[in-house]
Amino acid sequence: MLPIIEIEKRKCITPFECKKCLQVCPQAVFAVAPTKVDRFKETDPEYYEVEAVFRDKCVICMDCVKICPTNALKVKAGGN
Amino acid sequence: MCQLCEKYGESNRWYLNPKNYARPIYKKVEKGKEREPMILDEIRAPLNLIKPLIDLKDKPEAYEEAMKEFTKRQERMVGQVVSLDDSKKMVEIAQPIARIDCICRRTFRATLEDGENRPRSCLGLGIGMFRWEEWPERYKGGVEFLSIEETKKHLEHWHKRGMVITIMAFGTPYIGGICLCDYPDCIAIRMRMDYGVKPFLLKGHQIAKVKYDECIGCGNCAQRCQFGAIKMEVTTNKSNIDLMRCFGCGVCAYACPQDAISLIDREKLPSLKEEW
Repeated sequence: MLPIIEIEKRKCITPFECKKCLQVCPQAVFAVAPTKVDRFKETDPEYYEVEAVFRDKCVICMDCVKICPTNALKVKAGGN
Repeated sequence: MCQLCEKYGESNRWYLNPKNYARPIYKKVEKGKEREPMILDEIRAPLNLIKPLIDLKDKPEAYEEAMKEFTKRQERMVGQVVSLDDSKKMVEIAQPIARIDCICRRTFRATLEDGENRPRSCLGLGIGMFRWEEWPERYKGGVEFLSIEETKKHLEHWHKRGMVITIMAFGTPYIGGICLCDYPDCIAIRMRMDYGVKPFLLKGHQIAKVKYDECIGCGNCAQRCQFGAIKMEVTTNKSNIDLMRCFGCGVCAYACPQDAISLIDREKLPSLKEEW
């Protein structure tokens, strides 16, 4: 079973600026992207979200959970 | 033979055929309709397309089915490894060229190559680049137009640092970018290596072969291979390249102090000529 990675969007406000989970993950599981794009203007930081894309590669080392400054991340083994 | 060359090469390598740089990249917009911001789909593809695919891994049958469909879809956006020499030939026919932020590294590591603190690595090709200001989020940090000579230096710089040179088609066979890639942050290398999605990144037209007698066992090549094709043989202390796994990028050859690795044409080797 795939590991379960939950990201509480309410707590994770500016993931592209924080970027801690994205950079610490040895398996590069996460991806960050804007939720909208505008013409002639870059997207504001609050319109970004992070997702655990490659969660099949997650080894549940918990580095991301430990480093998250807002406790927005939960990681657990699947199948429980 | 390389199927892309067969279809789009006109007796040349497909990426050296000027026609494949000259197609219109913008879809015509119907009268009265506004052009859809496809840019958002492109930027969000890992979240909107790849994540749901991987979420299916617990259900092998559904996963296999979805993967087939995904692979088929990716044929429109085919990628291929090219050697430094070939990429230099490409820049002479692909104008204009602009240095841009690598969207893969931005997506998977949240790094921004703004040109001030970090050099930009990716190259966008074609007239579309003149319209970058319409979608500054896609070209975050701005773009920098380069001359042919500057582009060649750019390619050498990153290749020397260990980046694989790849080309990306946006609506195959229209070639829209030359990327400087490494694992795991390059989505093309990752999808090919970890998930076997071939059209994301086809192997190149060459393979790297070690001249056994000239290898001094320094290990530089093995350290740099992004495809896990090189190891040092413990007993002989010589480099061993698995030619079935080699993508022919040439990063190892560039790093060899003895010049003991040479790139040879894939199609000259009967067992490899259909291995892309």
